[in-house]
Amino acid sequence: MNTPLLQQVLDRTTPVDDSPASHLEVNFGLLDEYSKREIRRAILTAVAVPGYQVPFGSREMPVARGWGSGGLQISLAIVGPYDVVKVIDQGDDEGVNAVNLRRLIVSSTGIPESTTPEDSTLIQTRHRIPEDPLDERHTLVLQVPVPEPLRGVERDMRELARMHAEADYARMWVSLYEDKVRNGVITRTTGYPCLVNGRYVIATTPIPRWDVPRLHRSRFLALFGAGREKRIYAVPPHTDVEPLTFEDVPFEVEVTPGASCRTCSSTESFLVEIPGATAGDGGHWVCSDSDWCRRNRERLQHPSRGDRS
Amino acid sequence: MGYAAARGGLKAIEAAERLVARERVLGESQWLESKQMIEKLRLAVDRVMGEGGLWDEHLAASALRQAEGDPIEAAHLLRSYRSTLPRLAYTTPVDVDDLTVLRRIVPAFRNPPGPQLLGRTTDYTGRLLDTDDETSQRTAAEKMAAFIEENVTISKAIDGDAEPTDIRQPRRLLDLLRDLDAVVDRRRTDDPEPFDITRHPARPPATRSARLATMARAETGALVNVWYRNILGPDGYLHEITLGEVRHGRLPVTVIHPLTGDPVSISDVRVTEVEAIEDLNGIDEDRGRFDVGYGLCFGHNEKKAIAMANLDIACERDKGRSFLEQSILLTTDGLDASGFLEHLKLPHYVTFRSMMERKAAIRQFQENT
Repeated sequence: MNTPLLQQVLDRTTPVDDSPASHLEVNFGLLDEYSKREIRRAILTAVAVPGYQVPFGSREMPVARGWGSGGLQISLAIVGPYDVVKVIDQGDDEGVNAVNLRRLIVSSTGIPESTTPEDSTLIQTRHRIPEDPLDERHTLVLQVPVPEPLRGVERDMRELARMHAEADYARMWVSLYEDKVRNGVITRTTGYPCLVNGRYVIATTPIPRWDVPRLHRSRFLALFGAGREKRIYAVPPHTDVEPLTFEDVPFEVEVTPGASCRTCSSTESFLVEIPGATAGDGGHWVCSDSDWCRRNRERLQHPSRGDRS
Repeated sequence: MGYAAARGGLKAIEAAERLVARERVLGESQWLESKQMIEKLRLAVDRVMGEGGLWDEHLAASALRQAEGDPIEAAHLLRSYRSTLPRLAYTTPVDVDDLTVLRRIVPAFRNPPGPQLLGRTTDYTGRLLDTDDETSQRTAAEKMAAFIEENVTISKAIDGDAEPTDIRQPRRLLDLLRDLDAVVDRRRTDDPEPFDITRHPARPPATRSARLATMARAETGALVNVWYRNILGPDGYLHEITLGEVRHGRLPVTVIHPLTGDPVSISDVRVTEVEAIEDLNGIDEDRGRFDVGYGLCFGHNEKKAIAMANLDIACERDKGRSFLEQSILLTTDGLDASGFLEHLKLPHYVTFRSMMERKAAIRQFQENT
């Protein structure tokens, strides 16, 4: 399956012509088996200690660091021949980097791809959790640019290690308090800090606050990979994920009153704005989860066909 | 499934790839040969091997051609290629005294033990751009080649084969300083395994081997910049070292044969090696003696090895008081920095939507109060 793409991967990673090492055979999942084993061990540690950032010997991937190299390493380390992969960027299966990552996974494993969570087992994502409810069949792999939730309050990595070790999150609380006092609202946008399993504070990658509640006691396994920063962490199924906030300041997700998706009319999905050419020109909203939007639209147009596409 | 292509993402990517592949080979000029790059763009190939952390001139040249001359991109190609291969063996420890020098200078003394061997350098040559037209430059080059052909001894001397070993493997200045009891002795006897930065993330506080390995693979410009920022002030105050040794030469690499168990020389690599003498003046230091910083990297790259040696001793003396070690370990890798910088080009409309929403929330609060 996908031989031309496999050839492209080989071309991209193996300089050919006159070099003596031009006879590379790509291993299943691209990485060598020792590397995959090492990454899997880090994942097991991460699952055993929810929210703890496990250091690992991050490999250089055929995608640049900062472009999903951590998520890609997790996906390639855990993917098996019976998996079906879905890759999204900003919720969109057709984002150019999602396309590139998906074809790297598919071409180095030969596994099928899908855009619907229902058909998928392995979902790699940047910045979103699919709108569909995920369950035990799914492993969600999140690409993490900055795994350290405390970096805004402390720069020294030695001190950061101490703070996590002692669960000393006082300065994080102070910064949230100051934020509220100065601005009237907590201004954290995406990657909202959350306490996992009552122990470690994590950065929820830059997923919007909209997606944060869906990590709480979820039925699926969520794995977070930060390739550049060489960290893997996890939220196992049925684990508490509580956004840090105060008793009298409710956690707020992104909502725009009156906004609905222009394509499927949804008011119950995460919407992104398509601006008009000028401020007075209106603009409109669409679902960021493009595949969910498509199925939602079909469901409304043809109610009898059910949910599947 | 099948829905994927309808939106055009894949088609656009493939079109972009075709454009890159086409433009790389189109044009009037000949195919750019690896051998040509290895011989004529030696420093670029060396830099790619150093920053890629892989000694293979042919692969590095291929990577450089594929990357259209971008050394960081070429280093990325080398490293991600390396990720696909299992690690089968480790070399035996290399003794840098086995270095056969092609160039060696000792700025600390006028007449050090052993030669001042300028070798292949443009250090003392006016940087004058050759503005002759290409044909004349070519003719001149051919004449010179013919001349060298007739004077075999010169050619051999450049290769480093024609002279007795004691000149090509000179005693280190550091040995002399130790004889004179002029340097503190930080040599250790416990011989710990070196920290492998390709298998474990190096984080402060780190071992010296972790810092040295990180710098050996660092992006040259990044390392020079960390050095310069610390010399000039914004990030600290580094002592300027005195160079004890600047060497460029060939170093044999040996592995244990899996069947016979005997050491076998499998290759030699060219390296640049630097020893930097530091004037100790701290209240808690042995102010009657010097200390020494060390730098070594693949290929001929003196800027990098000198910055490395100075930062090595600066880090040692800093003893974790400042952010110097963290800067070295975390900010000097070319792939990390440029990859993360370039990721800003990826779509960010989900995060931006979330930011817009909070801006509106702040404005609404301001209007209501």
